[in-house]
Amino acid sequence: MSQVREPEFDRAVAWVLRIGAFGCFFIMVAGVSVGLFVTGHIPLDIERAGVLLMLATPVVRVVVACFLFFREKDWKYGWISLGVLLILMLGSVFGIGEH
Amino acid sequence: MVTALLVILGFCAGLLGALTGIGGGVLLTPILALHFGIPIRQAIGTSLVAVITTSTASSSVHLQRHTTDIRLGMTLELATALGAAVMAYLVGYFNRDALEGLFAAFLLYSSITILIKRGRVKPHEEERPSPVDETATEETSSDQAVIPPYEPKRYPLGLAASLAAGALSGLLGIGGGPIKVPVMYIFMNVPLMVATATSNFMIGVTAAASAIVYYRRGDILVQYAAPLAVGVFVGSLLGARLAPRVRTKVVTYLLVGVMFYLAGNLILHLLRGWL
Repeated sequence: MSQVREPEFDRAVAWVLRIGAFGCFFIMVAGVSVGLFVTGHIPLDIERAGVLLMLATPVVRVVVACFLFFREKDWKYGWISLGVLLILMLGSVFGIGEH
Repeated sequence: MVTALLVILGFCAGLLGALTGIGGGVLLTPILALHFGIPIRQAIGTSLVAVITTSTASSSVHLQRHTTDIRLGMTLELATALGAAVMAYLVGYFNRDALEGLFAAFLLYSSITILIKRGRVKPHEEERPSPVDETATEETSSDQAVIPPYEPKRYPLGLAASLAAGALSGLLGIGGGPIKVPVMYIFMNVPLMVATATSNFMIGVTAAASAIVYYRRGDILVQYAAPLAVGVFVGSLLGARLAPRVRTKVVTYLLVGVMFYLAGNLILHLLRGWL
């Protein structure tokens, strides 16, 4: 089962990663370059957007895979993906700390 | 010109990581802590962003070659993400000295392991010729790798090892590829090419699981993470191109040298704090 190759599936997930990686790269380059000329919160906000997009990319990748598994009626792996998503979500709840 | 230094640092770490297969996170955390004066917990969080960047950029390439086992990766991610998130949460209660000590121990351990293996393990050359005839695999276009049919085995063992790898990733801000690859290859009966690609694929989610916790705690310094990620992105893409043409043995020795130097400095840093 596991070695079934689905080029379509791979391609969809690869696209998510590519958009995330290149998107972040350009946002961060923008943030860093703006930071060379401007001080204050503007470059920092741009950089923060880049970092957040980077953190979100793997999460979106799980969401897309989850959607594709359910659409293929591959319930087992659909639920597994949903489980991974749940753990990622829990992290963002428990991360709120007073440390 | 801290920003320029960070871009260069990220570039070098990304390049070394892509050439040796040992992620840049191992180098970034101690350099940030020792030479940029960042508290180690924030150095870990910041280097996690670079780890996600490397994984995302390189696994999109692996996916195009259809060498990633998404189902296997997703299953093991249940364990790595859980281990990473829980450990990242616990790190909030660790003090600085404990983290620095753990990191120094990890650096020493991994550099000694690399020296013992000494270039013997070179994934692409070590790939066993498939005992199965190639007609068994599906259509193979020119850019598509031929993978012998396989069935992952010993899931409980794989999940347990993934939990530990995830915890280590959340603790030290590293990818943990050197643990996941052998587990899949040796214990789970997965071809090395698939194990490498799948481990790379998993690192993004594993690192994100802990990075989210670090971020919420304020342990990711975006003004450091952004220039680092820019450098890592360019470095790892260039490294992936150069990899077939560079003698990895020399690069590996260079990496081990840097790791020993960093471990030594971390220990000195600890000792100075105590005296």
